[in-house]
Amino acid sequence: MRSYFVRQALINIRKNLSVHILSLGTIVASLLILGLFLLLFGNLNNWLQRWGSALSMSIYLKDGISEYRRDKVDSFIRGLPGAEIKRFISKEEALKDLRAALGDDAGFLSRLERNPLPASYEVVFGSKGTYGVNPEKIKGELEKLDGVEEVQYSKEWLKKLEGFLDVVRLIGFIIGGLLCLCVVFIVTNTIKLTLYSRKDEIEILKLVGATDWFVKSPFLLEGMIQGTIGGILAVLTLFLGYLILPTHISLLGLAPLDFVFLPAGYLILILILGTVLGVIGSFIAIGRFFEV
Amino acid sequence: MIQLFDLSKKFGPNVALNDIRLRIRQGEFVFVTGPSGAGKTTLLRLIFGAEKPASGYILINAINLNRISRPKLDLLRRKIGFVFQDFKLLPKKTVSENVAIALEVIGLRPKFIRKKTHQTLRLVGLADKEKAYPLSLSGGEQQRVAIARAIVKDPLILLADEPTGNLDPQLTMEIMELFKSIHRKGTTVVVATHSQELLQGTDCRTIVLNHGKISEDTL
Repeated sequence: MRSYFVRQALINIRKNLSVHILSLGTIVASLLILGLFLLLFGNLNNWLQRWGSALSMSIYLKDGISEYRRDKVDSFIRGLPGAEIKRFISKEEALKDLRAALGDDAGFLSRLERNPLPASYEVVFGSKGTYGVNPEKIKGELEKLDGVEEVQYSKEWLKKLEGFLDVVRLIGFIIGGLLCLCVVFIVTNTIKLTLYSRKDEIEILKLVGATDWFVKSPFLLEGMIQGTIGGILAVLTLFLGYLILPTHISLLGLAPLDFVFLPAGYLILILILGTVLGVIGSFIAIGRFFEV
Repeated sequence: MIQLFDLSKKFGPNVALNDIRLRIRQGEFVFVTGPSGAGKTTLLRLIFGAEKPASGYILINAINLNRISRPKLDLLRRKIGFVFQDFKLLPKKTVSENVAIALEVIGLRPKFIRKKTHQTLRLVGLADKEKAYPLSLSGGEQQRVAIARAIVKDPLILLADEPTGNLDPQLTMEIMELFKSIHRKGTTVVVATHSQELLQGTDCRTIVLNHGKISEDTL
């Protein structure tokens, strides 16, 4: 009997091929957008975790700091757990860096009477030592040291980025939910069209003693096939797109970031979602069709 | 056994059947006759469970159709063959597929379905039309396909609504012989007809309906 259901489902699809292709295209588009959101969100999350796990700090020194005071600051930094001095930037180097960054617009710098830029340390806290590091406390202690002008650390803007990520997540949920509804709506209407085109056959099947499930099963299968194929095509399109687009992204002048593809779990989720939405859509369509 | 108790059926303000009391024993051959609009088709449809009565009861083999669940009605219909007046054939399916439907819903093996369908089509004289589509057949041939679909499952009850309406006298006699052979196997046969030729000289029980009431029963 199972082969009968599969045969009937395939016959239904073949007989309404154009409708099915159109609806499949829309399902693929919907699941693709959903996949893109997952891809974007997953990568943003990854990057945030990477940046978040590498806390960086800039320690600006007062002008005219003595060698002795600078050594004190130096040894204090080296004594911090997980801290690594990436670079000491002298006043001259800071000016040189600024000149390089400004390029053609750097002309005004030569008119300055004195170098206004402070010397600084660039300190990175390795990922191992980050958890448990209280940047606010370190900042406070450093600023108490004689010769330290100001301390800035990366967490401040990471917090803002986390807030942005929350917004992305919320938008993702809303759009994802709407897209899921869209898929269900499309499948429902496609199956309804098939149902109407086979109305006479359904009536006859019921009159010769077919159970509701005997009649319904091919339609449920039809929706399931449609949803599953939609899911597979969406995942394949997403993967092709990923292959074409650059996988190394340099953002905000930071170190290049890897743009990674969705993990297997997410891909399976899209496939299952397509199948489940297909079944739900056909379930709604066949709901009240069998009162003969 | 088919039992009808005080059975009435209305379509809007029109009374189709009124206070019908009837008992048809297992293995009986019954003609239901009367002029057009007398309620013959309605009576068969009520026995088949395709209509619900306004009042009264229908018992089929002691099963009350008023209280039957949907799945049980489906199972009961597998034991009842119905020859519809308008044949109800599927134009996009072949003759063989149209007949096989009645066995497919029962979930029988495809090999058995093919064999039984072929046998039945041979019985109704359509063995050479298995691959043909209904619309390429004559009215009489279509009627025989409808009969084949009704009898292919060896039903306990065979209900036929004007089964010889489109047939010439020769074919009519052949179909009636077919019904009688099915009846001889123990099937209860109820034939609704307005054809007086069919009833002439028959020794079968004849129920005459007039304006939704039984006006004569030759029991």
